[in-house]
Amino acid sequence: MKLTQLKVLVFGVGFSVASPLAFGQRAASAAYDDQRKVKLAGPVTKIAWTNPEAFLLVNVKDSTGTITPWEVEIGNPLDLEKSGSRRDSVHIGDVVNVEGIPARGPAPQAKATSVVLARTGAKLFVMSAKPAAKASGQPAPRWPGGHVRLGPPPGKKGYWGPPSATTLVESGVNVPMNRDGLLVNLTDAGKVAPFQPWAEAVYEYRQRTLFKDDPYNKCIPPGGVRHFQNPYGFQFYEQPDIQRILLFLGGGDRNWRIIYTDGRPAGQKEDLVLTYYGTSTGRWEGDTLVVDTVGFNERFWFTNGGLPHTEALHLTERFTRSDLDTLRYQVTVDDPRTYTRPWSGGWTIQWVPDQEIQEYFCEENAESTFIHNSREEKYQ
Amino acid sequence: MRRLAFHLGLLLTFLSVSAPNFAQQGHPLTGTWNGDFGANPTQRTPITVVMTWDGKEVKGIVNPGPDSSTTVVTVDVTTWNVRFETDMKDASGKVVHASADGKLDDLGSYHRTISGTWRQGTTSGTFKLTRE
Repeated sequence: MKLTQLKVLVFGVGFSVASPLAFGQRAASAAYDDQRKVKLAGPVTKIAWTNPEAFLLVNVKDSTGTITPWEVEIGNPLDLEKSGSRRDSVHIGDVVNVEGIPARGPAPQAKATSVVLARTGAKLFVMSAKPAAKASGQPAPRWPGGHVRLGPPPGKKGYWGPPSATTLVESGVNVPMNRDGLLVNLTDAGKVAPFQPWAEAVYEYRQRTLFKDDPYNKCIPPGGVRHFQNPYGFQFYEQPDIQRILLFLGGGDRNWRIIYTDGRPAGQKEDLVLTYYGTSTGRWEGDTLVVDTVGFNERFWFTNGGLPHTEALHLTERFTRSDLDTLRYQVTVDDPRTYTRPWSGGWTIQWVPDQEIQEYFCEENAESTFIHNSREEKYQ
Repeated sequence: MRRLAFHLGLLLTFLSVSAPNFAQQGHPLTGTWNGDFGANPTQRTPITVVMTWDGKEVKGIVNPGPDSSTTVVTVDVTTWNVRFETDMKDASGKVVHASADGKLDDLGSYHRTISGTWRQGTTSGTFKLTRE
């Protein structure tokens, strides 16, 4: 076999091995074992300042002199930049001391809790706590016709930022879980929603396996309610003249939804091409935008934590802007193939005034992904 | 050889890129399953089962086409043991009741499998299905 033929074959084999393991924006619970700690020291050999997570590659020498390149996750670059860090906060060749949480499994990868520049002792990539936005006390802006504006007031900028909750449970239910939706007690699984037996079993499986099969880890779009659970916000762009509202999503695959407000029927799923974001129609009930969405495919998890759904999923979302700063999001989940009855949950979302959503694409970290996977194979 | 290597490379690349796009995250039995069954490891008969979930029961079609048969599918979700009951033609072409008991494995994978044993009249053996 000639070299060129071999290259094609190796590329194909390598790609086929690497891509199923891709983890573009995986939940931290799935990737890292927070029951363990790791300390690393060595020179930086690569700085990957990419979404969704920035990485340093650090050459770590053990007592036998063997050098292992460790991939150290240091945080989202957009958040880091807001906290004053820059790509050039560290340079190739700088020796750093890292404390962090190691990856589950054998891969030499860690999520940093502390990065210190050895020669100066300076702490690097410190994520400052975001100060809570002060309530402006201003009423919700309105269109000339009287409807609440879901976007910024005229001439202003802003977007809807992080949600008050990143998990969906039935209203009134209180079960402890982390930001990724991982239950503290797996025995609470049945309380989260009124599951059919198969759905509860699947939910438990996803929890027990720490979300290893989450399609979101492979940059599959966060459809359903999940795009309102990511920290990178979203924007409404209202087009009253053509009676539709565009919803630009700041996280995940940086996609968009269209909400038709022209009175068309919601549609039957049998008539629709099934998609990640479904087909949405909206209407105003007072100051609340009520959006019905059907036509979801089954290729994604519709919320953090691994709640299952089928193509029968029908979401009714209610967006209520009570003042300039606050959007109340309530959703009713109706999927009779998965749940025994419709159920509801929700949270609030804070307005981020005078700022714009920064560029974010889940796919950006592919290079680091392939580094990780090639090494994962090596150490298995 | 050059052409074979090229096409093999392209095929593997295609599979690697396209496979996640077919992932199905709904009811674990829903979908098209291909595999085989037989009385021993060397004598195998290909089989396709298409299953759907309507919210109350799993319905299955065995070998969609002119010789298809429907199958009743029951699943114990605490163990993911799956049972199939159907009437299908045997080797002589006669319609005989058949049953199969299998276990669903690798629940979260889009290429999950069901494998186990089957019986049709006095004949029995093993089967394996893989979700496409």
